[in-house]
Amino acid sequence: MQPARPAAHFQSQTLNAMDTLSVIRDFLKDRLGLEHDRITPEATLEQLGIDSLMLLELLFEFEEKLNVSLSNDIATPKTVGELIAIVEQLQTPATA
Amino acid sequence: MGKRRVAITGLGLVSPFGGDTADFFARLARGESAIRHYTTDDKPRPLSVPAVRCTGFDADAALGKPLAGTMDRFSHLGMAAAFEAWEAAGFARGDKNAGQYDFDAFGVSWGTALGGTLAYERGYRDLWLHGRERLSPLAVVLGMNNAAAAHIAIQLGLGNSCLSYTVACSSAAAAIGEGYRRIRDGEATLMLTGGCDAPLAYGVVRAWENLRVLAPGNAETSYKACRPFSADRAGLVLGEGAAALVLEDWEHAVARGAPILAELAGYGATCDHGHLVKPDAAGQVRAMKLALADAGLAADEIDYVNAHGTATREGDPTEIVALKTLFGERAATLPVSATKSTHGHLMGAAGAIEALVTVLALQHDTLPPTAHLDSIDPDCQGVRHITGAALTGTGARAALSNSFAFGGSNAVLAFRSLRAVR
Repeated sequence: MQPARPAAHFQSQTLNAMDTLSVIRDFLKDRLGLEHDRITPEATLEQLGIDSLMLLELLFEFEEKLNVSLSNDIATPKTVGELIAIVEQLQTPATA
Repeated sequence: MGKRRVAITGLGLVSPFGGDTADFFARLARGESAIRHYTTDDKPRPLSVPAVRCTGFDADAALGKPLAGTMDRFSHLGMAAAFEAWEAAGFARGDKNAGQYDFDAFGVSWGTALGGTLAYERGYRDLWLHGRERLSPLAVVLGMNNAAAAHIAIQLGLGNSCLSYTVACSSAAAAIGEGYRRIRDGEATLMLTGGCDAPLAYGVVRAWENLRVLAPGNAETSYKACRPFSADRAGLVLGEGAAALVLEDWEHAVARGAPILAELAGYGATCDHGHLVKPDAAGQVRAMKLALADAGLAADEIDYVNAHGTATREGDPTEIVALKTLFGERAATLPVSATKSTHGHLMGAAGAIEALVTVLALQHDTLPPTAHLDSIDPDCQGVRHITGAALTGTGARAALSNSFAFGGSNAVLAFRSLRAVR
Protein backbone atom coordinates (compact mmCIF):
# COMPACT_ATOMS: atom_id res chain seq x y z
CA MET A 1 0.00 0.00 0.00
CA GLN A 2 1.35 3.43 -0.94
CA PRO A 3 1.34 6.26 1.63
CA ALA A 4 -1.77 8.37 1.47
CA ARG A 5 -1.47 11.62 -0.43
CA PRO A 6 -1.76 14.94 1.44
CA ALA A 7 -5.16 16.55 1.75
CA ALA A 8 -4.02 19.52 -0.31
CA HIS A 9 -4.21 17.26 -3.31
CA PHE A 10 -7.96 17.69 -3.27
CA GLN A 11 -7.81 21.33 -4.06
CA SER A 12 -7.71 20.13 -7.63
CA GLN A 13 -10.87 18.11 -6.96
CA THR A 14 -10.64 15.51 -9.63
CA LEU A 15 -13.81 13.73 -10.68
CA ASN A 16 -12.71 10.60 -8.88
CA ALA A 17 -12.03 12.45 -5.69
CA MET A 18 -15.46 14.04 -5.82
CA ASP A 19 -17.06 10.68 -6.35
CA THR A 20 -15.18 9.28 -3.40
CA LEU A 21 -16.05 12.26 -1.26
CA SER A 22 -19.69 11.89 -2.24
CA VAL A 23 -19.69 8.27 -1.18
CA ILE A 24 -18.22 9.22 2.19
CA ARG A 25 -20.63 12.11 2.64
CA ASP A 26 -23.69 10.06 1.74
CA PHE A 27 -22.61 7.22 3.98
CA LEU A 28 -21.95 9.45 6.98
CA LYS A 29 -25.18 11.34 6.45
CA ASP A 30 -27.06 8.07 6.56
CA ARG A 31 -25.16 6.40 9.38
CA LEU A 32 -24.28 9.31 11.66
CA GLY A 33 -26.55 12.09 10.47
CA LEU A 34 -23.54 14.28 9.62
CA GLU A 35 -24.14 17.16 7.24
CA HIS A 36 -22.13 17.13 4.03
CA ASP A 37 -20.25 20.33 4.80
CA ARG A 38 -18.64 18.73 7.84
CA ILE A 39 -16.98 16.11 5.67
CA THR A 40 -13.91 17.94 4.42
CA PRO A 41 -10.58 16.47 3.38
CA GLU A 42 -8.99 17.94 6.50
CA ALA A 43 -11.50 16.40 8.92
CA THR A 44 -10.05 13.52 10.92
CA LEU A 45 -11.89 10.23 11.04
CA GLU A 46 -11.77 10.37 14.82
CA GLN A 47 -13.46 13.78 14.86
CA LEU A 48 -16.23 12.42 12.68
CA GLY A 49 -16.77 9.37 14.89
CA ILE A 50 -15.46 6.84 12.37
CA ASP A 51 -14.04 3.87 14.27
CA SER A 52 -12.26 0.84 12.83
CA LEU A 53 -15.52 -1.00 12.22
CA MET A 54 -17.10 1.92 10.42
CA LEU A 55 -13.95 2.31 8.34
CA LEU A 56 -14.50 -1.25 7.14
CA GLU A 57 -18.03 -0.27 6.18
CA LEU A 58 -16.70 2.67 4.23
CA LEU A 59 -14.18 0.53 2.38
CA PHE A 60 -17.04 -1.80 1.50
CA GLU A 61 -19.01 1.19 0.20
CA PHE A 62 -16.13 2.18 -2.04
CA GLU A 63 -15.83 -1.30 -3.44
CA GLU A 64 -19.55 -1.48 -4.06
CA LYS A 65 -20.05 1.94 -5.57
CA LEU A 66 -16.73 2.86 -7.17
CA ASN A 67 -15.78 -0.53 -8.56
CA VAL A 68 -12.42 -0.63 -6.84
CA SER A 69 -10.80 -3.44 -4.92
CA LEU A 70 -9.04 -2.63 -1.67
CA SER A 71 -6.47 -4.95 -0.19
CA ASN A 72 -6.65 -6.10 3.42
CA ASP A 73 -3.45 -4.35 4.43
CA ILE A 74 -4.07 -0.72 3.60
CA ALA A 75 -2.51 1.87 5.89
CA THR A 76 -5.04 3.28 8.33
CA PRO A 77 -5.93 6.80 7.17
CA LYS A 78 -6.24 9.57 9.72
CA THR A 79 -8.16 12.09 7.67
CA VAL A 80 -10.87 12.09 5.04
CA GLY A 81 -8.27 13.33 2.58
CA GLU A 82 -6.01 10.38 3.23
CA LEU A 83 -8.91 8.02 2.85
CA ILE A 84 -9.88 9.56 -0.48
CA ALA A 85 -6.28 9.33 -1.64
CA ILE A 86 -6.23 5.61 -0.99
CA VAL A 87 -9.29 5.10 -3.14
CA GLU A 88 -8.34 7.56 -5.83
CA GLN A 89 -5.00 5.93 -6.28
CA LEU A 90 -6.75 2.69 -7.14
CA GLN A 91 -8.89 4.49 -9.69
CA THR A 92 -5.92 6.06 -11.45
CA PRO A 93 -4.75 3.96 -14.41
CA ALA A 94 -1.37 2.50 -13.70
CA THR A 95 1.56 3.91 -15.71
CA ALA A 96 4.19 1.72 -17.24
CA MET B 1 -18.85 -14.22 53.08
CA GLY B 2 -22.24 -15.95 53.06
CA LYS B 3 -24.62 -16.00 50.17
CA ARG B 4 -25.82 -12.58 49.14
CA ARG B 5 -29.48 -11.77 48.70
CA VAL B 6 -30.57 -10.52 45.33
CA ALA B 7 -32.98 -7.65 44.81
CA ILE B 8 -34.75 -6.75 41.61
CA THR B 9 -34.37 -3.01 41.24
CA GLY B 10 -35.42 -2.29 37.68
CA LEU B 11 -37.59 -3.67 34.91
CA GLY B 12 -37.74 -2.82 31.24
CA LEU B 13 -39.30 -4.19 28.10
CA VAL B 14 -40.24 -3.40 24.55
CA SER B 15 -43.97 -3.82 24.74
CA PRO B 16 -45.80 -5.31 21.76
CA PHE B 17 -48.66 -2.99 22.73
CA GLY B 18 -46.40 0.01 22.20
CA GLY B 19 -46.74 1.50 25.68
CA ASP B 20 -44.67 1.29 28.84
CA THR B 21 -44.29 -1.50 31.39
CA ALA B 22 -47.31 -0.37 33.43
CA ASP B 23 -49.49 -0.30 30.32
CA PHE B 24 -48.23 -3.74 29.29
CA PHE B 25 -49.06 -5.28 32.65
CA ALA B 26 -52.46 -3.61 32.84
CA ARG B 27 -53.35 -5.14 29.48
CA LEU B 28 -52.10 -8.56 30.53
CA ALA B 29 -54.20 -8.33 33.69
CA ARG B 30 -57.24 -7.88 31.47
CA GLY B 31 -56.24 -10.83 29.33
CA GLU B 32 -55.70 -8.58 26.33
CA SER B 33 -53.81 -10.19 23.50
CA ALA B 34 -50.96 -8.58 21.56
CA ILE B 35 -51.13 -11.31 18.94
CA ARG B 36 -52.05 -10.17 15.44
CA HIS B 37 -52.13 -11.78 12.04
CA TYR B 38 -48.84 -11.41 10.20
CA THR B 39 -48.45 -11.69 6.46
CA THR B 40 -45.51 -11.11 4.15
CA ASP B 41 -45.14 -10.71 0.40
CA ASP B 42 -42.56 -13.47 0.04
CA LYS B 43 -42.91 -15.43 -3.17
CA PRO B 44 -44.07 -17.97 -4.03
CA ARG B 45 -45.36 -18.72 -0.55
CA PRO B 46 -45.89 -15.71 1.71
CA LEU B 47 -46.10 -16.07 5.47
CA SER B 48 -49.56 -15.93 6.96
CA VAL B 49 -49.41 -16.68 10.66
CA PRO B 50 -50.43 -15.30 14.03
CA ALA B 51 -47.47 -13.48 15.54
CA VAL B 52 -46.45 -10.84 18.03
CA ARG B 53 -44.51 -7.92 16.63
CA CYS B 54 -43.29 -4.72 18.22
CA THR B 55 -44.60 -2.67 15.31
CA GLY B 56 -44.45 0.64 17.15
CA PHE B 57 -40.78 0.25 18.04
CA ASP B 58 -38.49 2.67 16.21
CA ALA B 59 -34.86 1.66 16.81
CA ASP B 60 -33.43 4.92 15.47
CA ALA B 61 -35.64 6.93 17.81
CA ALA B 62 -35.07 4.68 20.80
CA LEU B 63 -31.32 4.27 20.50
CA GLY B 64 -30.11 6.97 18.15
CA LYS B 65 -29.24 6.29 14.55
CA PRO B 66 -25.46 5.81 14.87
CA LEU B 67 -25.87 3.15 17.55
CA ALA B 68 -28.87 1.48 15.92
CA GLY B 69 -26.96 1.24 12.64
CA THR B 70 -24.53 -1.27 14.11
CA MET B 71 -27.18 -3.67 15.40
CA ASP B 72 -29.63 -6.26 14.16
CA ARG B 73 -33.23 -6.08 15.33
CA PHE B 74 -32.80 -8.49 18.23
CA SER B 75 -30.11 -6.22 19.63
CA HIS B 76 -32.26 -3.14 19.06
CA LEU B 77 -35.00 -4.70 21.15
CA GLY B 78 -32.63 -5.91 23.84
CA MET B 79 -30.77 -2.62 24.11
CA ALA B 80 -34.02 -0.67 24.47
CA ALA B 81 -35.30 -2.98 27.20
CA ALA B 82 -31.96 -2.83 29.00
CA PHE B 83 -31.87 0.97 28.89
CA GLU B 84 -35.37 1.12 30.34
CA ALA B 85 -34.53 -1.27 33.18
CA TRP B 86 -31.29 0.58 33.85
CA GLU B 87 -33.07 3.89 34.20
CA ALA B 88 -35.89 2.36 36.22
CA ALA B 89 -33.24 1.15 38.67
CA GLY B 90 -32.22 4.75 39.21
CA PHE B 91 -29.19 4.95 36.96
CA ALA B 92 -28.44 7.20 34.00
CA ARG B 93 -26.57 6.09 30.90
CA GLY B 94 -23.44 8.09 31.68
CA ASP B 95 -23.19 7.08 35.33
CA LYS B 96 -19.99 5.13 34.90
CA ASN B 97 -18.15 8.38 34.38
CA ALA B 98 -19.36 9.77 37.71
CA GLY B 99 -17.28 7.20 39.56
CA GLN B 100 -19.90 6.72 42.26
CA TYR B 101 -20.09 2.93 41.90
CA ASP B 102 -17.68 0.15 41.02
CA PHE B 103 -18.81 -0.61 37.48
CA ASP B 104 -16.34 -3.47 37.27
CA ALA B 105 -18.66 -5.24 39.69
CA PHE B 106 -21.61 -4.70 37.32
CA GLY B 107 -22.19 -7.16 34.49
CA VAL B 108 -24.56 -8.50 31.86
CA SER B 109 -26.19 -11.91 31.70
CA TRP B 110 -28.36 -12.17 28.62
CA GLY B 111 -30.40 -14.72 26.73
CA THR B 112 -31.23 -15.19 23.08
CA ALA B 113 -32.19 -18.29 21.17
CA LEU B 114 -31.81 -17.04 17.62
CA GLY B 115 -29.48 -14.05 17.88
CA GLY B 116 -29.10 -12.15 14.64
CA THR B 117 -31.10 -14.56 12.54
CA LEU B 118 -32.61 -11.66 10.55
CA ALA B 119 -29.13 -10.41 9.64
CA TYR B 120 -28.09 -13.87 8.54
CA GLU B 121 -31.24 -14.28 6.50
CA ARG B 122 -30.66 -10.95 4.78
CA GLY B 123 -27.19 -12.16 3.96
CA TYR B 124 -28.43 -15.43 2.51
CA ARG B 125 -30.99 -13.59 0.39
CA ASP B 126 -28.28 -11.28 -0.89
CA LEU B 127 -25.90 -14.11 -1.71
CA TRP B 128 -28.23 -16.69 -3.17
CA LEU B 129 -31.32 -14.78 -4.24
CA HIS B 130 -29.92 -11.46 -5.34
CA GLY B 131 -26.68 -12.79 -6.80
CA ARG B 132 -24.37 -10.69 -4.68
CA GLU B 133 -20.93 -12.03 -4.03
CA ARG B 134 -20.10 -10.28 -0.79
CA LEU B 135 -21.69 -9.28 2.49
CA SER B 136 -21.41 -6.15 4.57
CA PRO B 137 -18.45 -6.10 6.94
CA LEU B 138 -21.00 -5.73 9.72
CA ALA B 139 -22.58 -9.10 8.97
CA VAL B 140 -20.58 -10.89 11.65
CA VAL B 141 -21.16 -8.39 14.42
CA LEU B 142 -24.83 -7.95 13.55
CA GLY B 143 -25.46 -11.66 13.67
CA MET B 144 -23.41 -12.95 16.56
CA ASN B 145 -25.51 -14.21 19.44
CA ASN B 146 -23.72 -12.15 22.07
CA ALA B 147 -24.12 -8.89 20.15
CA ALA B 148 -26.96 -7.62 22.32
CA ALA B 149 -25.14 -8.37 25.56
CA ALA B 150 -21.95 -6.77 24.28
CA HIS B 151 -23.72 -3.60 23.17
CA ILE B 152 -25.42 -3.31 26.55
CA ALA B 153 -22.13 -3.67 28.41
CA ILE B 154 -20.36 -1.21 26.12
CA GLN B 155 -23.05 1.44 26.23
CA LEU B 156 -23.41 1.33 30.00
CA GLY B 157 -19.77 0.62 30.81
CA LEU B 158 -20.37 -2.60 32.72
CA GLY B 159 -17.03 -4.26 33.39
CA ASN B 160 -17.94 -7.49 35.14
CA SER B 161 -18.79 -10.61 33.13
CA CYS B 162 -20.77 -10.20 29.92
CA LEU B 163 -22.32 -13.56 29.16
CA SER B 164 -24.87 -14.78 26.63
CA TYR B 165 -26.92 -17.93 27.06
CA THR B 166 -28.51 -19.78 24.18
CA VAL B 167 -30.72 -22.49 25.58
CA ALA B 168 -33.68 -22.34 23.20
CA CYS B 169 -36.80 -21.28 25.10
CA SER B 170 -35.01 -21.27 28.47
CA SER B 171 -32.31 -18.85 27.30
CA ALA B 172 -33.37 -15.78 29.25
CA ALA B 173 -34.43 -17.71 32.35
CA ALA B 174 -31.00 -19.34 32.41
CA ALA B 175 -29.36 -15.95 31.88
CA ILE B 176 -31.31 -14.42 34.75
CA GLY B 177 -30.56 -17.42 36.96
CA GLU B 178 -26.86 -17.47 36.19
CA GLY B 179 -26.65 -13.70 36.69
CA TYR B 180 -28.40 -14.13 40.02
CA ARG B 181 -25.80 -16.70 41.02
CA ARG B 182 -22.96 -14.31 40.32
CA ILE B 183 -24.43 -11.80 42.76
CA ARG B 184 -25.43 -14.42 45.30
CA ASP B 185 -21.89 -15.80 45.30
CA GLY B 186 -20.32 -12.38 45.65
CA GLU B 187 -18.77 -12.20 42.18
CA ALA B 188 -20.82 -9.19 41.12
CA THR B 189 -22.94 -6.56 42.86
CA LEU B 190 -25.26 -5.90 39.92
CA MET B 191 -26.19 -7.87 36.82
CA LEU B 192 -28.29 -6.49 34.01
CA THR B 193 -30.18 -9.58 32.90
CA GLY B 194 -32.87 -10.49 30.43
CA GLY B 195 -33.25 -11.57 26.86
CA CYS B 196 -34.25 -10.59 23.36
CA ASP B 197 -35.21 -12.32 20.16
CA ALA B 198 -36.52 -11.39 16.74
CA PRO B 199 -37.58 -14.75 15.33
CA LEU B 200 -39.91 -13.66 12.55
CA ALA B 201 -37.44 -14.39 9.78
CA TYR B 202 -39.00 -16.15 6.82
CA GLY B 203 -36.87 -19.27 7.19
CA VAL B 204 -37.38 -19.45 10.94
CA VAL B 205 -41.15 -19.31 10.66
CA ARG B 206 -41.12 -21.90 7.89
CA ALA B 207 -38.95 -24.15 10.07
CA TRP B 208 -41.33 -23.89 13.01
CA GLU B 209 -44.31 -24.57 10.76
CA ASN B 210 -42.93 -27.95 9.82
CA LEU B 211 -42.51 -28.93 13.44
CA ARG B 212 -46.31 -28.69 13.36
CA VAL B 213 -46.46 -26.69 16.57
CA LEU B 214 -47.47 -23.26 15.24
CA ALA B 215 -51.04 -22.18 15.91
CA PRO B 216 -53.08 -21.34 12.82
CA GLY B 217 -55.07 -18.16 12.48
CA ASN B 218 -56.38 -15.49 10.20
CA ALA B 219 -57.11 -11.80 10.36
CA GLU B 220 -60.18 -12.40 12.52
CA THR B 221 -58.95 -15.17 14.81
CA SER B 222 -55.24 -14.66 15.31
CA TYR B 223 -55.61 -12.60 18.49
CA LYS B 224 -56.82 -15.73 20.28
CA ALA B 225 -54.60 -18.23 18.47
CA CYS B 226 -52.54 -19.12 21.54
CA ARG B 227 -54.69 -20.99 24.07
CA PRO B 228 -52.52 -22.77 26.66
CA PHE B 229 -54.21 -25.58 28.63
CA SER B 230 -57.32 -25.25 26.51
CA ALA B 231 -59.03 -28.36 25.12
CA ASP B 232 -58.88 -26.79 21.68
CA ARG B 233 -55.32 -25.44 21.88
CA ALA B 234 -53.58 -25.58 18.54
CA GLY B 235 -50.01 -24.55 19.12
CA LEU B 236 -47.71 -21.70 19.94
CA VAL B 237 -47.39 -18.20 18.50
CA LEU B 238 -43.95 -16.79 17.70
CA GLY B 239 -43.20 -13.30 18.94
CA GLU B 240 -40.41 -10.76 18.90
CA GLY B 241 -39.50 -8.72 21.91
CA ALA B 242 -37.22 -8.14 24.85
CA ALA B 243 -37.35 -7.71 28.58
CA ALA B 244 -34.72 -6.84 31.16
CA LEU B 245 -34.35 -7.08 34.93
CA VAL B 246 -31.71 -5.34 36.99
CA LEU B 247 -30.54 -7.76 39.67
CA GLU B 248 -28.61 -6.25 42.53
CA ASP B 249 -26.95 -7.25 45.76
CA TRP B 250 -29.61 -6.46 48.35
CA GLU B 251 -27.33 -4.43 50.60
CA HIS B 252 -25.97 -2.50 47.64
CA ALA B 253 -29.49 -1.66 46.56
CA VAL B 254 -30.49 -0.52 50.04
CA ALA B 255 -27.34 1.55 50.43
CA ARG B 256 -28.00 3.55 47.27
CA GLY B 257 -31.72 3.90 47.96
CA ALA B 258 -32.74 1.89 44.92
CA PRO B 259 -36.36 0.86 44.37
CA ILE B 260 -36.66 -2.82 45.37
CA LEU B 261 -39.52 -4.54 43.55
CA ALA B 262 -39.10 -8.13 44.74
CA GLU B 263 -36.43 -10.63 45.68
CA LEU B 264 -35.04 -13.15 43.21
CA ALA B 265 -34.70 -15.85 45.80
CA GLY B 266 -33.84 -19.01 43.92
CA TYR B 267 -32.94 -20.67 40.65
CA GLY B 268 -33.05 -24.27 39.55
CA ALA B 269 -31.63 -25.72 36.33
CA THR B 270 -31.91 -29.30 35.16
CA CYS B 271 -31.83 -31.35 31.98
CA ASP B 272 -34.43 -33.95 31.08
CA HIS B 273 -31.68 -35.91 29.28
CA GLY B 274 -34.38 -37.83 27.48
CA HIS B 275 -35.65 -36.45 24.21
CA LEU B 276 -34.81 -33.44 22.08
CA VAL B 277 -38.33 -32.04 21.90
CA LYS B 278 -40.52 -34.18 24.16
CA PRO B 279 -40.64 -32.63 27.64
CA ASP B 280 -40.35 -34.73 30.76
CA ALA B 281 -42.22 -33.94 33.97
CA ALA B 282 -39.53 -35.47 36.18
CA GLY B 283 -36.88 -33.06 34.91
CA GLN B 284 -39.26 -30.14 35.40
CA VAL B 285 -40.06 -31.22 38.96
CA ARG B 286 -36.36 -31.43 39.76
CA ALA B 287 -35.82 -27.90 38.45
CA MET B 288 -38.69 -26.49 40.53
CA LYS B 289 -37.44 -28.32 43.64
CA LEU B 290 -33.96 -26.94 43.15
CA ALA B 291 -35.33 -23.41 42.81
CA LEU B 292 -37.37 -23.80 45.99
CA ALA B 293 -34.45 -25.25 47.94
CA ASP B 294 -32.16 -22.48 46.69
CA ALA B 295 -34.72 -19.91 47.79
CA GLY B 296 -35.35 -21.52 51.17
CA LEU B 297 -39.01 -21.67 50.25
CA ALA B 298 -41.44 -24.47 50.99
CA ALA B 299 -43.77 -25.51 48.18
CA ASP B 300 -46.64 -24.29 50.34
CA GLU B 301 -45.29 -20.75 50.19
CA ILE B 302 -45.66 -20.55 46.41
CA ASP B 303 -48.85 -18.67 45.63
CA TYR B 304 -48.50 -18.26 41.86
CA VAL B 305 -46.84 -20.06 38.99
CA ASN B 306 -46.22 -18.37 35.67
CA ALA B 307 -46.22 -21.52 33.60
CA HIS B 308 -44.12 -22.20 30.54
CA GLY B 309 -47.46 -23.07 28.90
CA THR B 310 -46.85 -22.72 25.18
CA ALA B 311 -50.17 -24.25 24.06
CA THR B 312 -48.65 -27.31 22.43
CA ARG B 313 -50.32 -30.72 22.70
CA GLU B 314 -47.30 -32.30 24.41
CA GLY B 315 -46.00 -29.49 26.55
CA ASP B 316 -49.02 -28.29 28.50
CA PRO B 317 -50.17 -31.58 30.10
CA THR B 318 -46.57 -32.46 30.98
CA GLU B 319 -46.17 -29.22 32.91
CA ILE B 320 -49.45 -29.81 34.74
CA VAL B 321 -48.26 -33.29 35.72
CA ALA B 322 -45.07 -31.71 37.04
CA LEU B 323 -46.99 -29.13 39.07
CA LYS B 324 -49.30 -31.78 40.53
CA THR B 325 -46.32 -33.95 41.38
CA LEU B 326 -44.53 -31.15 43.19
CA PHE B 327 -47.46 -29.46 44.90
CA GLY B 328 -49.59 -32.53 45.64
CA GLU B 329 -53.09 -31.82 46.91
CA ARG B 330 -52.36 -28.10 47.10
CA ALA B 331 -52.01 -27.96 43.32
CA ALA B 332 -55.78 -27.79 43.04
CA THR B 333 -55.78 -24.35 44.69
CA LEU B 334 -52.48 -23.10 43.27
CA PRO B 335 -53.04 -20.16 40.89
CA VAL B 336 -51.39 -20.86 37.54
CA SER B 337 -51.39 -18.90 34.30
CA ALA B 338 -49.63 -18.97 30.97
CA THR B 339 -49.20 -15.42 29.75
CA LYS B 340 -47.90 -16.53 26.37
CA SER B 341 -51.60 -16.46 25.51
CA THR B 342 -51.24 -12.66 25.40
CA HIS B 343 -47.62 -11.81 24.60
CA GLY B 344 -46.78 -14.87 22.52
CA HIS B 345 -43.68 -17.02 22.70
CA LEU B 346 -40.63 -14.78 22.63
CA MET B 347 -38.27 -17.73 22.22
CA GLY B 348 -35.01 -16.78 23.94
CA ALA B 349 -36.66 -13.77 25.55
CA ALA B 350 -39.63 -15.74 26.91
CA GLY B 351 -38.04 -16.31 30.29
CA ALA B 352 -37.31 -12.61 30.62
CA ILE B 353 -40.75 -11.29 29.80
CA GLU B 354 -42.33 -13.93 32.03
CA ALA B 355 -39.94 -13.13 34.88
CA LEU B 356 -40.95 -9.49 34.45
CA VAL B 357 -44.62 -10.46 34.55
CA THR B 358 -44.06 -12.58 37.66
CA VAL B 359 -42.31 -9.73 39.48
CA LEU B 360 -45.12 -7.33 38.58
CA ALA B 361 -47.71 -9.91 39.64
CA LEU B 362 -46.14 -10.08 43.11
CA GLN B 363 -45.52 -6.35 43.33
CA HIS B 364 -49.10 -5.42 42.46
CA ASP B 365 -50.71 -8.49 44.01
CA THR B 366 -52.33 -9.06 40.64
CA LEU B 367 -52.01 -12.49 39.04
CA PRO B 368 -52.65 -12.23 35.30
CA PRO B 369 -54.84 -14.78 33.56
CA THR B 370 -54.37 -17.31 30.81
CA ALA B 371 -56.35 -15.65 28.03
CA HIS B 372 -58.88 -17.52 25.89
CA LEU B 373 -59.06 -20.43 28.32
CA ASP B 374 -62.76 -21.22 28.07
CA SER B 375 -62.60 -24.99 28.13
CA ILE B 376 -59.77 -26.60 30.09
CA ASP B 377 -58.32 -29.77 28.60
CA PRO B 378 -59.05 -32.68 30.99
CA ASP B 379 -55.35 -33.53 30.75
CA CYS B 380 -54.52 -30.05 32.00
CA GLN B 381 -56.82 -29.98 35.01
CA GLY B 382 -55.73 -30.18 38.62
CA VAL B 383 -54.41 -26.66 39.23
CA ARG B 384 -56.28 -23.40 39.75
CA HIS B 385 -56.16 -21.92 36.28
CA ILE B 386 -56.58 -18.15 36.32
CA THR B 387 -59.09 -17.38 33.59
CA GLY B 388 -60.91 -14.29 32.42
CA ALA B 389 -59.37 -11.43 34.41
CA ALA B 390 -56.53 -11.27 36.90
CA LEU B 391 -56.75 -12.57 40.44
CA THR B 392 -56.17 -9.62 42.74
CA GLY B 393 -55.61 -9.18 46.44
CA THR B 394 -54.52 -12.75 47.12
CA GLY B 395 -51.53 -11.61 49.15
CA ALA B 396 -49.26 -13.83 47.09
CA ARG B 397 -46.00 -14.38 48.97
CA ALA B 398 -43.83 -16.06 46.38
CA ALA B 399 -44.00 -17.28 42.81
CA LEU B 400 -42.26 -19.47 40.28
CA SER B 401 -41.57 -18.71 36.64
CA ASN B 402 -41.04 -21.85 34.58
CA SER B 403 -39.07 -22.12 31.36
CA PHE B 404 -38.72 -25.49 29.68
CA ALA B 405 -36.73 -25.68 26.45
CA PHE B 406 -36.23 -27.95 23.50
CA GLY B 407 -33.22 -30.00 24.37
CA GLY B 408 -34.73 -30.72 27.76
CA SER B 409 -33.12 -27.73 29.46
CA ASN B 410 -35.30 -26.54 32.33
CA ALA B 411 -34.81 -23.25 34.16
CA VAL B 412 -37.01 -22.16 37.06
CA LEU B 413 -36.83 -18.84 38.88
CA ALA B 414 -38.29 -18.33 42.38
CA PHE B 415 -39.35 -14.84 43.40
CA ARG B 416 -40.32 -13.61 46.84
CA SER B 417 -42.74 -10.73 47.29
CA LEU B 418 -41.70 -7.82 49.49
CA ARG B 419 -44.73 -8.77 51.57
CA ALA B 420 -42.95 -11.98 52.51
CA VAL B 421 -39.32 -10.84 52.68
CA ARG B 422 -37.90 -11.96 55.96
